[in-house]
Amino acid sequence: MTGLKKKTALTRAGIIESLQFRLSTAVMLFANLIYLALVYFLWKAIYDSSGVDVVNGMTFYDTMIYLILATAIFNLLEMFIVWDMSRAIQSGEIIMHLLKPMRYRLYTFWSYSGAHVNNFFLSFVPTFIVVVVITKGAIPIGINLLYFMVSLLLALIVNFNIEMLVAPVCLYTQSTWGINIVKETVVLLLSGASIPLAFFPEGLRQAVEYLPFRAVYDIPLTVLLAKNGTDSLSGLLPKLGIQLFWCVLLSVCGNLFWNHAVKKITVNGG
Amino acid sequence: MEMKTAKKRGLSFYLSIYKKILAQDLKSKMSYRADFFISTFGMVLTNISGFITFIILFHNFPSVNGWDYHHMLFLYGFSLIALTPVQCFFDNNWNLRFMVRSGDFIKYCFRPINVFFYFISEVFDVKGLGQFVFGLGTFIYAWAHIGIPVTVVTVAEAAIFLITASLFMIALMNFAAATCFWIINSGYVMVIMFRFKDFAKYPSSIFNSVFRFIFTFLIPIAFVAYYPSLVFVTPDHVPLLSWLSPFIGSLFFFLSYKFWMLGVRKYDFTGS
Repeated sequence: MTGLKKKTALTRAGIIESLQFRLSTAVMLFANLIYLALVYFLWKAIYDSSGVDVVNGMTFYDTMIYLILATAIFNLLEMFIVWDMSRAIQSGEIIMHLLKPMRYRLYTFWSYSGAHVNNFFLSFVPTFIVVVVITKGAIPIGINLLYFMVSLLLALIVNFNIEMLVAPVCLYTQSTWGINIVKETVVLLLSGASIPLAFFPEGLRQAVEYLPFRAVYDIPLTVLLAKNGTDSLSGLLPKLGIQLFWCVLLSVCGNLFWNHAVKKITVNGG
Repeated sequence: MEMKTAKKRGLSFYLSIYKKILAQDLKSKMSYRADFFISTFGMVLTNISGFITFIILFHNFPSVNGWDYHHMLFLYGFSLIALTPVQCFFDNNWNLRFMVRSGDFIKYCFRPINVFFYFISEVFDVKGLGQFVFGLGTFIYAWAHIGIPVTVVTVAEAAIFLITASLFMIALMNFAAATCFWIINSGYVMVIMFRFKDFAKYPSSIFNSVFRFIFTFLIPIAFVAYYPSLVFVTPDHVPLLSWLSPFIGSLFFFLSYKFWMLGVRKYDFTGS
Protein backbone atom coordinates (compact mmCIF):
# COMPACT_ATOMS: atom_id res chain seq x y z
CA MET A 1 0.00 0.00 0.00
CA THR A 2 2.81 2.42 0.89
CA GLY A 3 4.36 1.56 -2.47
CA LEU A 4 1.29 2.78 -4.24
CA LYS A 5 1.17 5.90 -2.10
CA LYS A 6 4.71 6.80 -3.09
CA LYS A 7 3.74 6.49 -6.73
CA THR A 8 0.54 8.49 -6.54
CA ALA A 9 2.49 11.20 -4.74
CA LEU A 10 4.67 11.44 -7.83
CA THR A 11 1.54 11.59 -10.00
CA ARG A 12 0.18 14.45 -7.91
CA ALA A 13 3.46 16.34 -8.06
CA GLY A 14 3.45 15.90 -11.84
CA ILE A 15 -0.07 17.27 -12.16
CA ILE A 16 0.77 20.33 -10.08
CA GLU A 17 4.04 20.88 -11.93
CA SER A 18 2.52 20.81 -15.39
CA LEU A 19 -0.39 23.04 -14.31
CA GLN A 20 2.22 25.71 -13.57
CA PHE A 21 2.60 26.39 -17.27
CA ARG A 22 -0.96 27.48 -17.96
CA LEU A 23 -0.11 29.99 -20.67
CA SER A 24 1.88 27.45 -22.63
CA THR A 25 -0.94 24.90 -22.26
CA ALA A 26 -3.49 27.39 -23.59
CA VAL A 27 -1.30 28.44 -26.51
CA MET A 28 -0.54 24.81 -27.35
CA LEU A 29 -4.24 23.98 -27.30
CA PHE A 30 -4.98 26.84 -29.67
CA ALA A 31 -2.11 25.88 -31.97
CA ASN A 32 -3.37 22.31 -32.04
CA LEU A 33 -6.77 23.51 -33.19
CA ILE A 34 -5.19 25.42 -36.07
CA TYR A 35 -3.08 22.40 -36.89
CA LEU A 36 -6.20 20.23 -36.97
CA ALA A 37 -7.87 22.69 -39.34
CA LEU A 38 -4.87 22.40 -41.65
CA VAL A 39 -5.02 18.62 -41.63
CA TYR A 40 -8.73 18.91 -42.43
CA PHE A 41 -8.20 21.16 -45.47
CA LEU A 42 -5.33 19.07 -46.76
CA TRP A 43 -7.25 15.79 -46.69
CA LYS A 44 -10.44 17.42 -47.91
CA ALA A 45 -8.56 18.61 -50.99
CA ILE A 46 -6.97 15.18 -51.39
CA TYR A 47 -10.30 13.35 -51.23
CA ASP A 48 -12.07 15.93 -53.43
CA SER A 49 -9.42 15.52 -56.14
CA SER A 50 -9.61 11.74 -56.05
CA GLY A 51 -13.28 11.71 -57.07
CA VAL A 52 -14.12 8.64 -54.97
CA ASP A 53 -15.43 8.45 -51.42
CA VAL A 54 -13.62 5.40 -50.10
CA VAL A 55 -9.90 4.82 -50.59
CA ASN A 56 -8.42 1.61 -49.19
CA GLY A 57 -11.44 1.16 -46.93
CA MET A 58 -11.03 4.65 -45.46
CA THR A 59 -13.58 7.41 -45.97
CA PHE A 60 -12.65 11.05 -45.57
CA TYR A 61 -14.10 11.05 -42.04
CA ASP A 62 -12.23 7.86 -41.12
CA THR A 63 -8.95 9.39 -42.26
CA MET A 64 -9.67 12.65 -40.43
CA ILE A 65 -10.58 10.94 -37.19
CA TYR A 66 -7.58 8.68 -37.44
CA LEU A 67 -5.08 11.49 -38.06
CA ILE A 68 -6.54 13.95 -35.58
CA LEU A 69 -6.69 11.41 -32.79
CA ALA A 70 -3.23 10.12 -33.71
CA THR A 71 -1.96 13.67 -33.20
CA ALA A 72 -3.90 13.88 -29.94
CA ILE A 73 -2.39 10.60 -28.74
CA PHE A 74 1.04 11.84 -29.80
CA ASN A 75 0.59 14.95 -27.65
CA LEU A 76 -0.77 12.86 -24.82
CA LEU A 77 2.08 10.37 -24.78
CA GLU A 78 4.89 12.79 -25.48
CA MET A 79 7.82 12.17 -23.19
CA PHE A 80 11.21 13.82 -23.07
CA ILE A 81 13.10 10.98 -21.44
CA VAL A 82 16.01 11.18 -23.88
CA TRP A 83 16.47 14.86 -23.03
CA ASP A 84 15.88 14.37 -19.31
CA MET A 85 18.41 11.60 -19.11
CA SER A 86 21.15 13.39 -21.00
CA ARG A 87 20.59 16.57 -19.02
CA ALA A 88 20.66 14.63 -15.76
CA ILE A 89 23.95 13.07 -16.81
CA GLN A 90 25.52 16.34 -17.90
CA SER A 91 24.65 18.05 -14.65
CA GLY A 92 25.43 15.02 -12.51
CA GLU A 93 21.88 15.01 -11.18
CA ILE A 94 21.55 11.38 -12.30
CA ILE A 95 23.39 10.37 -9.11
CA MET A 96 20.55 11.74 -7.01
CA HIS A 97 18.05 9.72 -9.05
CA LEU A 98 20.08 6.54 -8.62
CA LEU A 99 20.29 7.05 -4.88
CA LYS A 100 16.52 7.31 -4.51
CA PRO A 101 14.81 4.33 -2.89
CA MET A 102 12.99 3.57 -6.11
CA ARG A 103 14.24 2.17 -9.37
CA TYR A 104 15.04 4.88 -11.91
CA ARG A 105 12.73 3.39 -14.54
CA LEU A 106 9.83 3.24 -12.13
CA TYR A 107 10.53 6.72 -10.83
CA THR A 108 10.56 8.17 -14.37
CA PHE A 109 7.35 6.40 -15.29
CA TRP A 110 5.45 7.66 -12.28
CA SER A 111 6.80 11.19 -12.38
CA TYR A 112 5.50 11.44 -15.95
CA SER A 113 2.10 10.03 -15.03
CA GLY A 114 0.91 13.41 -13.71
CA ALA A 115 1.59 15.09 -17.04
CA HIS A 116 -0.23 12.23 -18.77
CA VAL A 117 -3.31 12.65 -16.58
CA ASN A 118 -3.32 16.40 -17.30
CA ASN A 119 -2.82 15.95 -21.01
CA PHE A 120 -5.61 13.43 -21.11
CA PHE A 121 -8.20 15.72 -19.57
CA LEU A 122 -7.00 19.07 -20.95
CA SER A 123 -6.00 18.06 -24.44
CA PHE A 124 -7.19 14.62 -25.47
CA VAL A 125 -10.78 14.73 -24.15
CA PRO A 126 -11.56 18.19 -25.65
CA THR A 127 -10.12 17.09 -29.01
CA PHE A 128 -12.12 13.89 -28.85
CA ILE A 129 -15.36 15.77 -28.13
CA VAL A 130 -14.74 18.18 -31.01
CA VAL A 131 -14.14 15.25 -33.34
CA VAL A 132 -17.29 13.44 -32.18
CA VAL A 133 -19.40 16.56 -32.74
CA ILE A 134 -17.91 17.44 -36.13
CA THR A 135 -18.05 13.95 -37.61
CA LYS A 136 -21.61 13.39 -36.35
CA GLY A 137 -21.59 9.83 -35.19
CA ALA A 138 -18.70 8.39 -37.19
CA ILE A 139 -17.21 7.27 -33.87
CA PRO A 140 -19.43 4.65 -32.20
CA ILE A 141 -20.12 5.53 -28.57
CA GLY A 142 -20.38 2.43 -26.44
CA ILE A 143 -18.32 -0.29 -24.84
CA ASN A 144 -15.55 0.44 -27.38
CA LEU A 145 -14.66 3.55 -25.34
CA LEU A 146 -13.83 1.32 -22.38
CA TYR A 147 -11.79 -1.02 -24.58
CA PHE A 148 -10.04 2.02 -25.97
CA MET A 149 -9.00 3.17 -22.49
CA VAL A 150 -7.42 -0.22 -21.81
CA SER A 151 -5.69 -0.15 -25.17
CA LEU A 152 -4.50 3.42 -24.61
CA LEU A 153 -3.00 2.48 -21.27
CA LEU A 154 -1.10 -0.36 -22.91
CA ALA A 155 -0.02 2.04 -25.67
CA LEU A 156 1.32 4.36 -23.01
CA ILE A 157 3.39 1.58 -21.49
CA VAL A 158 4.71 0.46 -24.88
CA ASN A 159 5.64 4.06 -25.70
CA PHE A 160 7.37 4.48 -22.35
CA ASN A 161 9.35 1.31 -22.97
CA ILE A 162 10.41 2.45 -26.44
CA GLU A 163 11.62 5.70 -24.87
CA MET A 164 13.47 3.88 -22.11
CA LEU A 165 15.06 1.56 -24.63
CA VAL A 166 16.34 4.44 -26.74
CA ALA A 167 17.35 6.93 -24.04
CA PRO A 168 20.35 5.00 -22.63
CA VAL A 169 21.92 5.07 -26.10
CA CYS A 170 22.87 8.66 -25.29
CA LEU A 171 25.05 7.31 -22.48
CA TYR A 172 27.24 5.60 -25.06
CA THR A 173 27.17 8.18 -27.83
CA GLN A 174 26.76 11.57 -26.11
CA SER A 175 24.10 12.32 -28.67
CA THR A 176 20.73 13.69 -27.65
CA TRP A 177 19.17 15.56 -30.53
CA GLY A 178 20.24 12.90 -33.01
CA ILE A 179 18.95 9.95 -31.01
CA ASN A 180 15.69 11.72 -30.35
CA ILE A 181 15.04 12.69 -33.96
CA VAL A 182 15.79 9.14 -35.18
CA LYS A 183 13.38 7.70 -32.63
CA GLU A 184 10.65 10.21 -33.35
CA THR A 185 10.88 9.85 -37.12
CA VAL A 186 10.80 6.06 -37.03
CA VAL A 187 7.92 5.92 -34.55
CA LEU A 188 5.79 8.50 -36.34
CA LEU A 189 6.20 6.95 -39.77
CA LEU A 190 5.91 3.27 -38.89
CA SER A 191 3.11 3.68 -36.35
CA GLY A 192 0.81 5.24 -38.91
CA ALA A 193 0.66 8.57 -37.11
CA SER A 194 1.63 10.68 -40.12
CA ILE A 195 -0.25 8.63 -42.72
CA PRO A 196 -2.73 5.85 -41.83
CA LEU A 197 -1.34 2.31 -42.15
CA ALA A 198 -4.30 1.45 -44.39
CA PHE A 199 -2.72 3.56 -47.16
CA PHE A 200 0.64 1.77 -47.00
CA PRO A 201 1.55 -0.47 -49.93
CA GLU A 202 0.84 -4.11 -49.11
CA GLY A 203 4.45 -5.25 -48.52
CA LEU A 204 5.32 -2.36 -46.27
CA ARG A 205 2.11 -2.78 -44.29
CA GLN A 206 2.83 -6.43 -43.60
CA ALA A 207 6.35 -5.57 -42.43
CA VAL A 208 4.98 -2.92 -40.09
CA GLU A 209 2.58 -5.47 -38.58
CA TYR A 210 5.54 -7.19 -36.96
CA LEU A 211 6.95 -4.04 -35.37
CA PRO A 212 5.99 -2.62 -31.96
CA PHE A 213 5.11 0.85 -33.25
CA ARG A 214 1.58 0.08 -34.34
CA ALA A 215 0.80 -0.87 -30.76
CA VAL A 216 1.16 2.82 -29.89
CA TYR A 217 -1.20 4.45 -32.41
CA ASP A 218 -2.79 2.03 -34.81
CA ILE A 219 -4.25 -0.48 -32.34
CA PRO A 220 -5.87 2.02 -29.92
CA LEU A 221 -7.39 3.91 -32.86
CA THR A 222 -8.68 0.76 -34.52
CA VAL A 223 -10.27 -0.23 -31.22
CA LEU A 224 -11.79 3.22 -30.78
CA LEU A 225 -13.31 3.19 -34.26
CA ALA A 226 -14.51 -0.40 -33.61
CA LYS A 227 -12.96 -1.54 -36.90
CA ASN A 228 -11.56 -4.96 -37.89
CA GLY A 229 -13.96 -6.75 -35.54
CA THR A 230 -12.57 -5.17 -32.37
CA ASP A 231 -16.08 -4.50 -31.07
CA SER A 232 -16.34 -8.16 -30.09
CA LEU A 233 -14.10 -9.76 -27.48
CA SER A 234 -12.80 -12.37 -29.92
CA GLY A 235 -11.57 -9.60 -32.20
CA LEU A 236 -10.37 -7.38 -29.40
CA LEU A 237 -8.33 -9.77 -27.26
CA PRO A 238 -5.71 -10.65 -29.93
CA LYS A 239 -5.09 -6.92 -30.45
CA LEU A 240 -4.65 -6.28 -26.74
CA GLY A 241 -2.52 -9.42 -26.63
CA ILE A 242 -0.14 -7.93 -29.19
CA GLN A 243 0.14 -4.79 -27.09
CA LEU A 244 0.74 -6.79 -23.93
CA PHE A 245 3.36 -8.85 -25.71
CA TRP A 246 5.29 -5.73 -26.69
CA CYS A 247 4.92 -4.30 -23.17
CA VAL A 248 6.59 -7.36 -21.69
CA LEU A 249 9.25 -7.85 -24.35
CA LEU A 250 10.29 -4.20 -24.51
CA SER A 251 10.36 -3.80 -20.77
CA VAL A 252 12.57 -6.88 -20.34
CA CYS A 253 14.95 -5.58 -23.03
CA GLY A 254 14.82 -2.08 -21.57
CA ASN A 255 15.67 -3.38 -18.10
CA LEU A 256 18.63 -5.40 -19.34
CA PHE A 257 19.92 -2.50 -21.41
CA TRP A 258 19.53 -0.01 -18.58
CA ASN A 259 21.34 -2.30 -16.12
CA HIS A 260 24.24 -2.43 -18.53
CA ALA A 261 24.16 1.27 -19.41
CA VAL A 262 24.03 2.48 -15.83
CA LYS A 263 27.53 1.14 -15.28
CA LYS A 264 28.75 3.32 -18.14
CA ILE A 265 27.69 6.57 -16.50
CA THR A 266 30.59 8.90 -15.97
CA VAL A 267 29.91 12.23 -14.36
CA ASN A 268 32.59 14.84 -14.77
CA GLY A 269 33.30 16.94 -11.72
CA GLY A 270 30.96 17.24 -8.83
CA MET B 1 27.40 52.61 -28.48
CA GLU B 2 28.23 49.12 -29.71
CA MET B 3 25.57 49.39 -32.34
CA LYS B 4 27.14 52.50 -33.83
CA THR B 5 30.61 51.01 -34.20
CA ALA B 6 29.01 47.87 -35.63
CA LYS B 7 27.32 49.81 -38.39
CA LYS B 8 30.63 51.13 -39.66
CA ARG B 9 32.12 47.68 -40.24
CA GLY B 10 32.00 46.42 -43.79
CA LEU B 11 30.68 43.18 -45.16
CA SER B 12 34.19 41.74 -45.60
CA PHE B 13 34.88 42.27 -41.91
CA TYR B 14 31.78 40.28 -40.97
CA LEU B 15 32.60 37.54 -43.46
CA SER B 16 36.07 37.07 -42.00
CA ILE B 17 34.64 36.99 -38.48
CA TYR B 18 32.02 34.46 -39.58
CA LYS B 19 34.70 32.17 -41.02
CA LYS B 20 36.62 32.21 -37.75
CA ILE B 21 33.57 31.50 -35.59
CA LEU B 22 32.45 28.78 -38.00
CA ALA B 23 35.82 27.03 -37.76
CA GLN B 24 35.62 27.01 -33.96
CA ASP B 25 32.08 25.68 -34.03
CA LEU B 26 32.95 22.85 -36.40
CA LYS B 27 35.97 21.88 -34.30
CA SER B 28 33.89 21.66 -31.16
CA LYS B 29 31.22 19.65 -32.99
CA MET B 30 33.75 17.18 -34.35
CA SER B 31 34.93 16.42 -30.84
CA TYR B 32 31.62 14.59 -30.40
CA ARG B 33 31.96 12.44 -33.49
CA ALA B 34 29.26 9.89 -32.67
CA ASP B 35 26.75 12.65 -32.01
CA PHE B 36 27.70 14.33 -35.26
CA PHE B 37 27.09 11.21 -37.32
CA ILE B 38 23.89 10.20 -35.54
CA SER B 39 22.48 13.70 -35.94
CA THR B 40 23.33 13.79 -39.63
CA PHE B 41 21.80 10.35 -40.04
CA GLY B 42 18.69 11.52 -38.17
CA MET B 43 18.32 14.52 -40.45
CA VAL B 44 18.61 12.37 -43.57
CA LEU B 45 16.10 9.98 -42.04
CA THR B 46 13.51 12.73 -41.47
CA ASN B 47 13.85 13.68 -45.13
CA ILE B 48 13.49 10.08 -46.27
CA SER B 49 10.47 9.64 -44.00
CA GLY B 50 8.88 12.79 -45.40
CA PHE B 51 9.54 11.51 -48.88
CA ILE B 52 8.04 8.08 -48.13
CA THR B 53 4.91 9.77 -46.76
CA PHE B 54 4.75 11.78 -49.95
CA ILE B 55 5.11 8.69 -52.15
CA ILE B 56 2.49 6.75 -50.17
CA LEU B 57 0.09 9.68 -50.52
CA PHE B 58 0.50 9.78 -54.30
CA HIS B 59 0.34 6.01 -54.50
CA ASN B 60 -3.27 6.35 -53.29
CA PHE B 61 -4.21 9.76 -54.68
CA PRO B 62 -2.77 10.69 -58.09
CA SER B 63 -3.38 14.45 -57.80
CA VAL B 64 -4.17 17.08 -55.21
CA ASN B 65 -6.26 20.06 -56.21
CA GLY B 66 -5.04 20.00 -59.80
CA TRP B 67 -1.40 19.54 -58.80
CA ASP B 68 -0.02 16.30 -60.22
CA TYR B 69 2.87 14.23 -58.93
CA HIS B 70 5.72 16.17 -60.56
CA HIS B 71 4.28 19.58 -59.72
CA MET B 72 3.86 18.56 -56.09
CA LEU B 73 7.40 17.21 -56.16
CA PHE B 74 8.59 20.59 -57.44
CA LEU B 75 6.85 22.31 -54.55
CA TYR B 76 8.31 19.79 -52.12
CA GLY B 77 11.87 20.24 -53.40
CA PHE B 78 11.46 24.01 -53.42
CA SER B 79 10.33 24.03 -49.79
CA LEU B 80 13.19 21.76 -48.70
CA ILE B 81 15.78 24.08 -50.26
CA ALA B 82 14.10 27.22 -48.95
CA LEU B 83 13.99 25.73 -45.44
CA THR B 84 17.71 24.89 -45.43
CA PRO B 85 19.17 28.31 -44.48
CA VAL B 86 17.04 28.58 -41.34
CA GLN B 87 18.33 25.15 -40.31
CA CYS B 88 21.99 25.75 -41.18
CA PHE B 89 22.61 29.37 -40.25
CA PHE B 90 19.95 30.33 -37.72
CA ASP B 91 19.82 27.28 -35.49
CA ASN B 92 21.18 29.16 -32.48
CA ASN B 93 17.78 30.84 -32.11
CA TRP B 94 16.72 27.64 -30.33
CA ASN B 95 19.26 28.35 -27.59
CA LEU B 96 18.25 31.98 -27.15
CA ARG B 97 15.68 31.41 -24.43
CA PHE B 98 18.11 29.40 -22.27
CA MET B 99 20.80 32.07 -22.66
CA VAL B 100 18.39 34.88 -21.83
CA ARG B 101 17.04 33.06 -18.83
CA SER B 102 20.39 32.08 -17.36
CA GLY B 103 21.87 35.52 -18.02
CA ASP B 104 24.61 34.15 -20.28
CA PHE B 105 23.20 36.26 -23.07
CA ILE B 106 24.89 39.36 -21.64
CA LYS B 107 28.24 38.25 -23.10
CA TYR B 108 26.97 38.97 -26.62
CA CYS B 109 26.21 42.55 -25.70
CA PHE B 110 29.79 43.34 -24.71
CA ARG B 111 31.40 42.73 -28.08
CA PRO B 112 32.08 45.49 -30.59
CA ILE B 113 30.08 43.70 -33.28
CA ASN B 114 26.40 43.42 -34.08
CA VAL B 115 24.68 41.40 -31.35
CA PHE B 116 22.34 39.56 -33.71
CA PHE B 117 25.17 38.67 -36.06
CA TYR B 118 27.43 37.47 -33.27
CA PHE B 119 24.74 35.36 -31.62
CA ILE B 120 23.51 33.76 -34.85
CA SER B 121 26.97 33.12 -36.27
CA GLU B 122 27.96 31.08 -33.24
CA VAL B 123 26.26 27.92 -34.51
CA PHE B 124 26.38 26.45 -37.99
CA ASP B 125 24.25 23.35 -38.30
CA VAL B 126 26.04 21.01 -40.69
CA LYS B 127 23.28 18.41 -40.79
CA GLY B 128 21.04 20.89 -42.62
CA LEU B 129 23.24 20.31 -45.66
CA GLY B 130 21.78 16.83 -46.08
CA GLN B 131 18.37 18.41 -46.48
CA PHE B 132 19.81 20.81 -49.06
CA VAL B 133 21.24 17.99 -51.19
CA PHE B 134 18.00 16.02 -50.91
CA GLY B 135 15.91 19.07 -51.78
CA LEU B 136 18.11 20.04 -54.71
CA GLY B 137 17.88 16.54 -56.16
CA THR B 138 14.10 16.54 -55.89
CA PHE B 139 13.92 20.06 -57.31
CA ILE B 140 16.07 19.27 -60.37
CA TYR B 141 14.23 15.98 -61.01
CA ALA B 142 10.83 17.71 -60.90
CA TRP B 143 12.13 20.64 -62.96
CA ALA B 144 13.26 18.28 -65.72
CA HIS B 145 10.03 16.25 -65.71
CA ILE B 146 7.76 19.29 -65.87
CA GLY B 147 9.90 20.53 -68.75
CA ILE B 148 10.72 24.00 -67.47
CA PRO B 149 13.25 25.51 -69.92
CA VAL B 150 16.81 25.91 -68.67
CA THR B 151 17.92 29.42 -69.59
CA VAL B 152 20.00 32.07 -67.88
CA VAL B 153 16.78 33.83 -66.92
CA THR B 154 15.01 30.84 -65.34
CA VAL B 155 18.09 29.72 -63.42
CA ALA B 156 18.72 33.25 -62.13
CA GLU B 157 15.05 33.50 -61.19
CA ALA B 158 15.25 30.18 -59.34
CA ALA B 159 18.28 31.38 -57.37
CA ILE B 160 16.68 34.68 -56.43
CA PHE B 161 13.31 33.22 -55.52
CA LEU B 162 14.83 30.37 -53.49
CA ILE B 163 17.05 32.72 -51.51
CA THR B 164 14.30 35.23 -50.79
CA ALA B 165 11.81 32.46 -49.96
CA SER B 166 14.19 31.24 -47.27
CA LEU B 167 13.95 34.65 -45.60
CA PHE B 168 10.34 34.01 -44.62
CA MET B 169 11.05 31.03 -42.39
CA ILE B 170 14.14 32.73 -40.96
CA ALA B 171 12.09 35.80 -40.10
CA LEU B 172 9.32 33.70 -38.53
CA MET B 173 11.82 31.91 -36.32
CA ASN B 174 13.48 35.22 -35.39
CA PHE B 175 10.12 36.56 -34.27
CA ALA B 176 9.30 33.37 -32.38
CA ALA B 177 12.70 33.20 -30.68
CA ALA B 178 12.69 36.87 -29.71
CA THR B 179 9.43 36.44 -27.77
CA CYS B 180 11.58 34.98 -24.99
CA PHE B 181 12.79 38.49 -24.17
CA TRP B 182 9.25 39.21 -22.96
CA ILE B 183 7.78 35.81 -22.07
CA ILE B 184 9.71 33.40 -19.87
CA ASN B 185 10.11 29.92 -21.30
CA SER B 186 8.51 30.80 -24.64
CA GLY B 187 9.94 27.75 -26.37
CA TYR B 188 6.48 26.56 -27.34
CA VAL B 189 6.07 29.58 -29.66
CA MET B 190 9.07 28.33 -31.62
CA VAL B 191 7.78 24.76 -31.60
CA ILE B 192 4.45 25.90 -33.04
CA MET B 193 6.01 28.06 -35.75
CA PHE B 194 8.36 25.24 -36.63
CA ARG B 195 5.44 22.84 -37.01
CA PHE B 196 3.74 25.16 -39.50
CA LYS B 197 6.62 24.68 -41.90
CA ASP B 198 5.23 21.18 -42.60
CA PHE B 199 2.49 22.91 -44.55
CA ALA B 200 4.86 24.87 -46.76
CA LYS B 201 5.08 21.94 -49.14
CA TYR B 202 1.38 21.94 -50.05
CA PRO B 203 -0.33 24.33 -52.49
CA SER B 204 -2.06 27.07 -50.49
CA SER B 205 -5.02 26.86 -52.84
CA ILE B 206 -6.29 23.91 -50.77
CA PHE B 207 -7.13 26.19 -47.83
CA ASN B 208 -10.26 28.28 -47.45
CA SER B 209 -10.05 32.06 -47.69
CA VAL B 210 -9.53 32.62 -43.96
CA PHE B 211 -6.53 30.34 -43.73
CA ARG B 212 -5.18 31.52 -47.06
CA PHE B 213 -5.23 35.04 -45.64
CA ILE B 214 -3.50 33.91 -42.44
CA PHE B 215 -0.80 32.05 -44.35
CA THR B 216 -0.23 34.92 -46.73
CA PHE B 217 -0.25 37.93 -44.45
CA LEU B 218 0.03 36.81 -40.81
CA ILE B 219 2.13 33.65 -40.76
CA PRO B 220 3.47 33.79 -44.34
CA ILE B 221 4.11 30.08 -44.80
CA ALA B 222 2.62 30.27 -48.31
CA PHE B 223 5.63 32.34 -49.42
CA VAL B 224 8.11 29.60 -48.49
CA ALA B 225 7.26 27.56 -51.57
CA TYR B 226 3.77 28.10 -53.01
CA TYR B 227 3.87 31.69 -54.30
CA PRO B 228 7.45 31.62 -55.62
CA SER B 229 6.86 28.21 -57.24
CA LEU B 230 4.01 29.60 -59.32
CA VAL B 231 6.57 31.65 -61.26
CA PHE B 232 7.97 28.39 -62.66
CA VAL B 233 4.98 26.07 -62.60
CA THR B 234 2.36 28.33 -64.18
CA PRO B 235 4.46 30.94 -66.02
CA ASP B 236 1.44 32.16 -68.01
CA HIS B 237 -0.53 33.46 -65.08
CA VAL B 238 1.64 34.37 -62.14
CA PRO B 239 -0.12 36.30 -59.38
CA LEU B 240 1.29 39.65 -58.38
CA LEU B 241 2.16 38.32 -54.90
CA SER B 242 4.60 35.87 -56.49
CA TRP B 243 6.54 38.64 -58.19
CA LEU B 244 6.48 40.71 -55.02
CA SER B 245 7.64 37.86 -52.78
CA PRO B 246 11.38 38.79 -52.88
CA PHE B 247 10.57 42.28 -51.62
CA ILE B 248 8.08 41.10 -49.03
CA GLY B 249 10.63 38.53 -47.84
CA SER B 250 13.36 41.15 -47.43
CA LEU B 251 11.00 43.48 -45.58
CA PHE B 252 9.75 40.69 -43.32
CA PHE B 253 13.29 39.65 -42.48
CA PHE B 254 14.23 43.26 -41.71
CA LEU B 255 11.22 43.62 -39.39
CA SER B 256 12.09 40.41 -37.57
CA TYR B 257 15.64 41.67 -37.12
CA LYS B 258 14.33 44.93 -35.64
CA PHE B 259 12.01 43.00 -33.32
CA TRP B 260 14.89 40.79 -32.18
CA MET B 261 17.09 43.81 -31.51
CA LEU B 262 14.24 45.50 -29.64
CA GLY B 263 14.24 42.48 -27.36
CA VAL B 264 17.99 42.85 -26.84
CA ARG B 265 17.57 46.48 -25.82
CA LYS B 266 14.84 45.49 -23.42
CA TYR B 267 17.13 42.80 -22.03
CA ASP B 268 19.88 45.37 -21.43
CA PHE B 269 17.59 47.34 -19.19
CA THR B 270 16.49 44.45 -17.02
CA GLY B 271 19.76 42.53 -17.02
CA SER B 272 21.50 42.35 -13.71
